Amino acid sequence: MKIAVCAKQIPDPAIAVSYEGGAISRPEEQVLDDTDRYGIEVALQLKEKFDAEVIVLSMGKLGTQKGIQQALQMGADKALVIEDDSLVNANSLMTSNVLSSMAKSAEADVIIFGTESSDGYSGVVPQQVSRYLNLPCISYVKGIEINDDTILTRQTITGSEKVTMPDKCVISVTASGVEPRYPNFKDIMAAKSKPVEVISISSIELTAIQNQEFVEINSISSDKSGEKHIDEGNSFNLIIEKLKEIKAI
Amino acid sequence: MKSLIIGETSKGTLSQGTLEIAGKLQSEGLDFHLVVIGSEDNPKIGGDTFNATYLKINSEELTLSSVADNINKIIKENSINMILASSTYIGRDITGFLSVDLNSSPVSNVVNFTLSGDDVMTTNSIDGGESEYITKVTSDYKLLIIRPKSFEPAEILLNENYESINIESNELTTSVYDVFVEEKTGPQLDDSKIVISAGRGMVEVDNLKYINELALKLNAAIGGTRAIVDAGWMPYSQQVGQTGKTVKPDVYIACGISGATQHQVGMKDSKYIIAINKDEEAPIFQIADLGIVGDTLNIIPKLIENL
Repeated sequence: MKIAVCAKQIPDPAIAVSYEGGAISRPEEQVLDDTDRYGIEVALQLKEKFDAEVIVLSMGKLGTQKGIQQALQMGADKALVIEDDSLVNANSLMTSNVLSSMAKSAEADVIIFGTESSDGYSGVVPQQVSRYLNLPCISYVKGIEINDDTILTRQTITGSEKVTMPDKCVISVTASGVEPRYPNFKDIMAAKSKPVEVISISSIELTAIQNQEFVEINSISSDKSGEKHIDEGNSFNLIIEKLKEIKAI
Repeated sequence: MKSLIIGETSKGTLSQGTLEIAGKLQSEGLDFHLVVIGSEDNPKIGGDTFNATYLKINSEELTLSSVADNINKIIKENSINMILASSTYIGRDITGFLSVDLNSSPVSNVVNFTLSGDDVMTTNSIDGGESEYITKVTSDYKLLIIRPKSFEPAEILLNENYESINIESNELTTSVYDVFVEEKTGPQLDDSKIVISAGRGMVEVDNLKYINELALKLNAAIGGTRAIVDAGWMPYSQQVGQTGKTVKPDVYIACGISGATQHQVGMKDSKYIIAINKDEEAPIFQIADLGIVGDTLNIIPKLIENL
């Protein structure tokens, strides 16, 4: 079994996102999106059970490749990466088009994602990839039990439901249900010798087009901040007064 | 502009998100066709001012790719060029599938849009709501995924006059079992007048008992940040923020929440925001009507006692 797991390098999430001409500014050093750690964890659990190969797919500015290394440190076997000027500010469909092509060339049976990236959060890439590849899409997975069959629990609007994982499919994993592993020193050292193959854009048949023009970013004056008090032991009274004042109680 | 709403049912009628999109289109004077996805029998989803098609799915099958095939047909037959869905699990799945069929990338997390000739200008909320990002969608097909609570819901007299299609499974259909309906008791995040949310500042899961007690006293719904949902303190269905729910209650009480932009996106439009946090510099204070700098774990018990 071959498992592709898609991972994105994003700017340090502790720092507010900034934009350059509508595109997110990306420093040389980007980190692995925490959202992707859940997908990687699921891939690794499948690898342990079925002796699968886990291949990281990543698109975007490579820089120092710190985020790619972080994915490999968790236990993935190798990475296929792509960076091209024509993909800066790619929309979700272009991204899916590229990732689908990469998954195909990796001959992946199962393709795993987080539900949405923490910087662009379009939230539709897994679905689009499943459509490009004509595979079942098991979205919003929040739990996995691996026995003879692999049972996936999906989040739904009313609760949850279970499905048996098809042999070939696309999965998106929510940020709950699995506990992403932390690499130890040995894992970190081992990752350094794992192969990272850079794919050329010329090998991708790109049919998706840019259909979105950046217009502008407007700041909205948000003078919302009201009164602020340091608690001296009786601020509960203040809260009660305010709740009464606005007729909430 | 011929528009199509991808709607969903809820409790035998149209979901709130569907009504909000209908409300926006009505206020822009735009006609629309409505397709509604659901597994209920004979929901009230039709109306006098629009054509509706009910796509009935079997709750024991995951067959949204087949639903998308049906919607694609309706789009072509009715020469639709703008397609709108609410940002729900189903809405995102279907729009993702259709975007490949129509070779048109959707705009996600839209909070507003305007028409400009043949183009559509969409607004996204960024920087925790302090800035808006405007995009022009230039393709023939325009697909928009709308954040809940962006528009006032339409007031429509709903009836049972609509075409109904039973969705057939296809080769990608996966069967579903163990359908679990989460017991929903007490006030719900979506429509409660008061929401109390907990963050990392609650220190440990046991301390959520204070939040529960306070919620009981105030008849409030309970939410949480992504950090505590990831930590397993609360189910995902209670997550407020970018990747969770958007709430807009009369009062939002943020307990031990620093207020990362991802959280603010889900609650900043609450009418009155009370924030309690130890850190005086916490970003949540920038949007709070009443900010209390102090230890949540001291303040909440006293508040409960004195209410």
